[in-house]
Amino acid sequence: MSRVRLLHLVRVFAWTGLTSLGGGRSAYFHDAVVVRRPWVRNDEFVQDLTLSQLLPGPNFANLAVALGCRLAGWAGGAGALGAIVAPGAVILLLLAVVYFRGGFAPGTTHVMHGMAATVVGLVLVTTARIVRASLHGRVALVVAVATFLLVGPLGVNTPLAIALVLPVALWWHRPRRA
Amino acid sequence: MMAGLARLAWTFLWLSPLCVGGGLGVVPEMQRQVVARYEWVTAREFVDGYTLSQLTPGPNMLVVVFVGYRAYGVPGACLAGLAMFLPTSSLTALVARRWERVRAHPWALAGERALAPVGIGLMAAGVYTLARSAVHDAPTAALALVATLALTASWVPPVTVVLVGGLAGWLLGL
Repeated sequence: MSRVRLLHLVRVFAWTGLTSLGGGRSAYFHDAVVVRRPWVRNDEFVQDLTLSQLLPGPNFANLAVALGCRLAGWAGGAGALGAIVAPGAVILLLLAVVYFRGGFAPGTTHVMHGMAATVVGLVLVTTARIVRASLHGRVALVVAVATFLLVGPLGVNTPLAIALVLPVALWWHRPRRA
Repeated sequence: MMAGLARLAWTFLWLSPLCVGGGLGVVPEMQRQVVARYEWVTAREFVDGYTLSQLTPGPNMLVVVFVGYRAYGVPGACLAGLAMFLPTSSLTALVARRWERVRAHPWALAGERALAPVGIGLMAAGVYTLARSAVHDAPTAALALVATLALTASWVPPVTVVLVGGLAGWLLGL
């Protein structure tokens, strides 16, 4: 039972993927499938967004897959993944070829250094926004800071750090009887 | 070559589920693996690849294509992309179709609440890792600060800010 024809889905997702540059990419999807087209209800979208963030893996891809499955079953999920990953992958591959062959014009090193420094500002702002929106309570703060210190400055292997921190957080939020 | 490709695929395969709450969270571990451990790219190339992935449409984790290409050419790029996206996406598809039932489980909510701060900590560590490679003197620090302020104070498209940063880097000869 698919709500949308596969080809139409792939076209819309590919276009959404190509035009959603920079931060807040899920907002572009919301616009494409909830606001502009009557494909997905708002509560369904929120559900898929939560799922995509909860499950492991790159969550922009997860969101596309969850929405794709909802709209056109397994084929929809596969089509959605291909539609958002393939165009960017081809572009980045071409950029990599040029970059490693030294084909960037002289002076490009300076441009790259400048862009890399601004990207630090960009990821800092994105992280700060998420901290403000979803870091509530002292326990959550302790868990976040501990994870940061372990993985960042202390250089602990990430799976090990998660294995140390996550059980504590899970135990704290364990289901309790009302 | 075959052993190398297998190592590449395996590395991105186990890195992909570490993207908890966003691709940024996996950056510290990815850098450790691809720069320090296997030396597929240098620290400078890694941060440049991440920067290019920010300018490219699609998920940021496409940086694996960049690393894979450097390590083993086009086959490396394809394999890295498949290893990063295919298994976790399959899991998402499986769970998405059963989500109504999974969500009703009391531990699902506990998992959601417990994972959120872990993901935030990982993202912060990702910022730290990128900053260590990209901010190395006063001008780059100033540029990062100006970008932070510009993006906080007003709604400027992030891509514009990054491109202006590139122009500034060129003018200043960073």
